[in-house]
Amino acid sequence: MEFMMENRAKRYVLLIGILCTCAFMLGWVNTWEDIRRESAKIKTVSAQFSQQKHMQILTKPLVSKGRFYFQTPDSVRWEYTSPIKSVLIMQKGSIKRYTQGSRGLVEDASGSLESMQIVLQEIGRWTRGQFTENEHFSATLKGGKGPRIILTPKEKGLAAMISRIVITLSPDRQGVIKSVKIIENEGNYTLFEFTDVQINGKISETLFREIG
Amino acid sequence: MKDFVLHGRWVMILMCAIFLMSCSSLPVIKPVDPTAVPNTKKRCRQPFLDIPYRFIHSIEVSFPGGKTGTVMGVTVFDPAEKTIHSVIMTIEGFVLFDAWYEKEVRVNRAVPPFNAEQFAGYMMEDVRLIFLAPDGKLLDSGVNAEGSTVCRYPGNKDSIIDVIVHKDESWDIETYSNSHELLRKINAVDVQNRIPGMVELRGFGFREYSLRLKLINAEEASPEANRVRPGETPEDDE
Repeated sequence: MEFMMENRAKRYVLLIGILCTCAFMLGWVNTWEDIRRESAKIKTVSAQFSQQKHMQILTKPLVSKGRFYFQTPDSVRWEYTSPIKSVLIMQKGSIKRYTQGSRGLVEDASGSLESMQIVLQEIGRWTRGQFTENEHFSATLKGGKGPRIILTPKEKGLAAMISRIVITLSPDRQGVIKSVKIIENEGNYTLFEFTDVQINGKISETLFREIG
Repeated sequence: MKDFVLHGRWVMILMCAIFLMSCSSLPVIKPVDPTAVPNTKKRCRQPFLDIPYRFIHSIEVSFPGGKTGTVMGVTVFDPAEKTIHSVIMTIEGFVLFDAWYEKEVRVNRAVPPFNAEQFAGYMMEDVRLIFLAPDGKLLDSGVNAEGSTVCRYPGNKDSIIDVIVHKDESWDIETYSNSHELLRKINAVDVQNRIPGMVELRGFGFREYSLRLKLINAEEASPEANRVRPGETPEDDE
């Protein structure tokens, strides 16, 4: 009855964080070259997020809320405030996740060094706007008003878990995304929507070191 | 001769062990006044809701050594049809396990290690134990040493299920093997309108573990709610 997540599940969890991190780096774009150029301008991002889980078993989506912080080159804080308090911190090659439980906010057993390596690899690519060189996903850019990037898994194993990912960019605010939708299968998807997005604002270093 | 003596000792030890094991007994149930039996039976049904319900929990899983992990669980059950639909996902929303129970377990999705052989069966057995009333005929009823109401039912594979409802409306469910060893202990507390705010399940024996289910949401569900149906396709993706 072990609930520890293995590599593929861990990869998914971390992928969400990465996607949301990197999606903020995208500006108002029409071409991959636009993405690469805009990516270079972003140093920090902070935003509030709402996560809506849609499933056949639910009559209405299960909503989680939290806050997200990013600082180049690789510092991330992905924090849930409700319904479960949880903090994922990634900095200088280490990643840890803490979840509120019976003993307070304790490190979750699902974190691992292996996942961290995957994270860093992906972040390295996507911060440079290298969606098209990604080994895990094929990327399609749909420009114009309300531009979208559609990522489709290349690997059969990953495709069994994620059907596609749709990143919708804000049509009128440069550097801001509207939503990230991760579709697992028909009727089962997760929608992340972002508000209060601050680009290149000052973020305290302690947010990437301390959980409290 | 020496070998024989050694063997004899081992046989004795084994016999003593078997004797001691056979001596382990189930908790004593003190009978109540026969006129109170219908009330006792009714009280023992209190932990089990009579209509279809949907529960959302955060689930903290603990293993020996103190490691913990947290996931979210959605459970929809229909007591009349004795069906359960159960989904386990990460906090980030990734579905790890999705299974349906109706006389037998059907797995819709299971990501490793949730696809391990027998996992789905054990998992759904735990879920069933928490949410659905025991199937078997009442074997015994009464009160325990603390004065809590107890009902005893037969379970699977000659096991025994004790449902214990305390005076403060919290409740326990305990299962015992046919040699009366404790297999599972469920403790439900913070009960309001028959719905517990916290349920802890502890598994004993070869692999010990515990699950702490903290209620996030509970709502009535339509009888069709846990039927697997064609999914709705999200818009604006293509």
